[in-house]
Amino acid sequence: MSKNRLSRRSFLKKGAAATAAVSLFPTVVPASVLGRNGAVAPSDRIVMGLIGAGGMGNHDMRQFLNKKETQIVAICDVDNRHLKSTKATIDNKYGNKDSRTYRDYRDFLDNEKLDAVIMALPDHWHGIIATTTANKGLDIYGEKPLARTIKEGRTIVDAAQKNKIIWQTGSWQRSVGNFKKAVELVRNGVIGNVTRVEVGLPNGNASIGTPPIQNPPEGVDWDRWLGPAPKVPFRGVLHFHWRWLQDYSGGQLTDWAGHHVDIANWGLDFDQTGPVSIKGKGVYPAEGIYNVPVEYLIEAKYENGVKMTIANAQYFEDKRRNGIWPNIGAVRYGMGTVWYGDKGWIHVNRSGLWASKPEFLKVPMSSLKTRIYNSTDHWQNFLDCVKSREKTVAPAETAHNSISVALIGEIAMLTDKELKWNAKNERFTNSEYANRLLSRPFRAPWKMPSI
Amino acid sequence: MKKIFQLIVIALLSLSVLFGCKENKLKALIVTGQNNHNWEESHIILKKILENSGTFNVETSISPAKGEDMSSFVPDFYAFDVIVLDYNGDEWPEKTKKNFEKYVKDGGGVVVYHASDNSFPAWKEYNVMIGLGGWKGRNEKSGSYVYYNNRDELIRDNSEGNGGEHGPQHEFVIEIRDTEHSIVKGLNKRWLHSQDELYSKLRGPAQNMNIIATAYADTSYKGTGRHEPILMTIEYGKGRVFHTVLGHVGSEKVHYATQDAGFIITLQRGAEWAATGEVKQQLPEDLPNVGSAFLLPNYKFYTLDELFAKAKSFEYGKAQKYLYLISNRIREAKGGSEKLKDFENRILKTMQSDDATSECKNYFCRELSWMGSEKSLPLLNELLKNDETSEMAQFALTRLQQQ
Repeated sequence: MSKNRLSRRSFLKKGAAATAAVSLFPTVVPASVLGRNGAVAPSDRIVMGLIGAGGMGNHDMRQFLNKKETQIVAICDVDNRHLKSTKATIDNKYGNKDSRTYRDYRDFLDNEKLDAVIMALPDHWHGIIATTTANKGLDIYGEKPLARTIKEGRTIVDAAQKNKIIWQTGSWQRSVGNFKKAVELVRNGVIGNVTRVEVGLPNGNASIGTPPIQNPPEGVDWDRWLGPAPKVPFRGVLHFHWRWLQDYSGGQLTDWAGHHVDIANWGLDFDQTGPVSIKGKGVYPAEGIYNVPVEYLIEAKYENGVKMTIANAQYFEDKRRNGIWPNIGAVRYGMGTVWYGDKGWIHVNRSGLWASKPEFLKVPMSSLKTRIYNSTDHWQNFLDCVKSREKTVAPAETAHNSISVALIGEIAMLTDKELKWNAKNERFTNSEYANRLLSRPFRAPWKMPSI
Repeated sequence: MKKIFQLIVIALLSLSVLFGCKENKLKALIVTGQNNHNWEESHIILKKILENSGTFNVETSISPAKGEDMSSFVPDFYAFDVIVLDYNGDEWPEKTKKNFEKYVKDGGGVVVYHASDNSFPAWKEYNVMIGLGGWKGRNEKSGSYVYYNNRDELIRDNSEGNGGEHGPQHEFVIEIRDTEHSIVKGLNKRWLHSQDELYSKLRGPAQNMNIIATAYADTSYKGTGRHEPILMTIEYGKGRVFHTVLGHVGSEKVHYATQDAGFIITLQRGAEWAATGEVKQQLPEDLPNVGSAFLLPNYKFYTLDELFAKAKSFEYGKAQKYLYLISNRIREAKGGSEKLKDFENRILKTMQSDDATSECKNYFCRELSWMGSEKSLPLLNELLKNDETSEMAQFALTRLQQQ
């Protein structure tokens, strides 16, 4: 780590401490005020870099690019086309040609003097790169799901905590009004004692077929893209479509569990707890290279008796047709989170918020006893916490807990058995077969870094 | 001499008992000979499919060619449990029509296959039997359009218009509407059907008709935007009719529509239902689903031995289904260690055979990585020595030996 960067970070931290404990350094602009009005001097900005400059990485980066208190200085990707287009976006914004590009995340981390890193990689790379970055003491805005396996997720959480970095997961629904309102209403018992929750995620669609073996596009380092995943010939599966292969992702299930299971957990105050048992049934294609489930049904039970059902949207859509799922407006198509209490239900998704009784939604928020973390801008919340050193609305441990339900559900589908789960030591207690699937062996020379 | 003759008769009788005697099988008659489709191939395919179910003995009745004298065409319907119509052509003689009506009314079974529902637009009783038909001048006088709309309401629409149309062939999802019907009970509620003509805007009397499955006719394939009936049953007198609009066989080299596992299962079970009113056939282990169209080029489901034999020669870019079907069956073992040990033995045996490809070995390393035992270790260690298999062998060993 460079001394320069260290001193900058301690400067920021001191600034935050100073604000908290009445200003001891009156000449220092408090971090909490940075960016509220006017320009921020370059030396006071949070210096950021991006690893993984695809669609999601660019989306996140643009959010930070538009904040006054950040300076994006470097990007890293294994695809030259990404590097070129993303560098153009940055340089265009700043009116210069200063941003730097890297193909190797280790060079990127060693050479740049950063405060924070935006990370938007295929899931199979999360474990190694997030842990390495955390070990360098850099704060991270990392895309969901937290990791491809339980063990990698656990390592990231431990690395983030041990290195005392600020971590925000890209589960931005935690900073959006209808989701927060739903969670607060449920938390405050508006629908009574919650007994079950249903989570609808997108259907799979295996339309990629069996593309022929081909040369990777010019400027793509395929071996590096694969990294710790098994070596296979290139067949056109690269950006976006990697989600349909088990080596890199668990499909729509693990993509979206980081959103709607995350919200379900928040409403149930389950951010610190996991299921005690889980069973799952997946429908897998019989042909083509797509090998994640196209349909899935996972049922998890919790210690307090709550049952969580996670399924692809069509499952709930069929229930709605049969009159056993809410049948109003956008509740169609089976997406989102529905909590059922002894007084009724509340359903939230990206299209809105609904309840079995309209009055549930009219409860004045100010009358509620339990208030939840109030973030209104997910990316700003990260920057605020980088300055204040407070916890973000979606820290690594929360994201790990949310995606764990889907990851052990995926294992339950692969072994097609009801599994007993010990959430404390993160092991199954009734299947050694299932325990073997808690991690994925890495291809040499890649290894999970130690913390 | 007489004695020898008796002995031969006894021997023949016992042979027929030994070889799953004819008497136990249902008798099916395929009626074909004229069609706007490739009947020369389709009726052979239908015969194979029905015979492969193990339920039917199949005979074929081929009509005179189009335009020829039909008066001699008088099949003996009563000798059969089910009549499978692969016929779209000239009018049958009046006598044959009357025989057929009576046969069905008295409790005979009928399967209406694909373009057979185009045939005989003016034969009133035939149109009652098939429920819905299309083309050949069918219009509002033929009966209602019947379909499900996007709010899942069953619509009978008597508006004016022609009956029968379809867009270009494509893959489409078939959705079961009557999940409890014995023809489809136990199948996945939806499956992706291989490329086929999606018959739409069929119209007809639709009396005593039950829609068992539909498919959404996507407007991007010039479809109606409706959920069109795909599989139907019709009760006619004491008889039963199973109507499948699937299974186009044209001049193409490969007849994907009829190779589709869903087409095959529903034809086999539908024909049995039409013949007897119940379905005793066991469901195959590998069921079609929405993930991908599932083709059976030999019109037969695979035994586990066959799957492993096919898996041996797997190479990148070739069909993966044999491997996937094995993986599915491993999942179906539900983590039961006895069953998984059997799979482990079969996998090891396959990987050890001389003609197993590296791709096959690498695929099975993934399965062994979680369901293997110490029994797999020697082979995996052996595979470490080969450049083409060392990485996946290491993958499996790492997992099997982790603490």
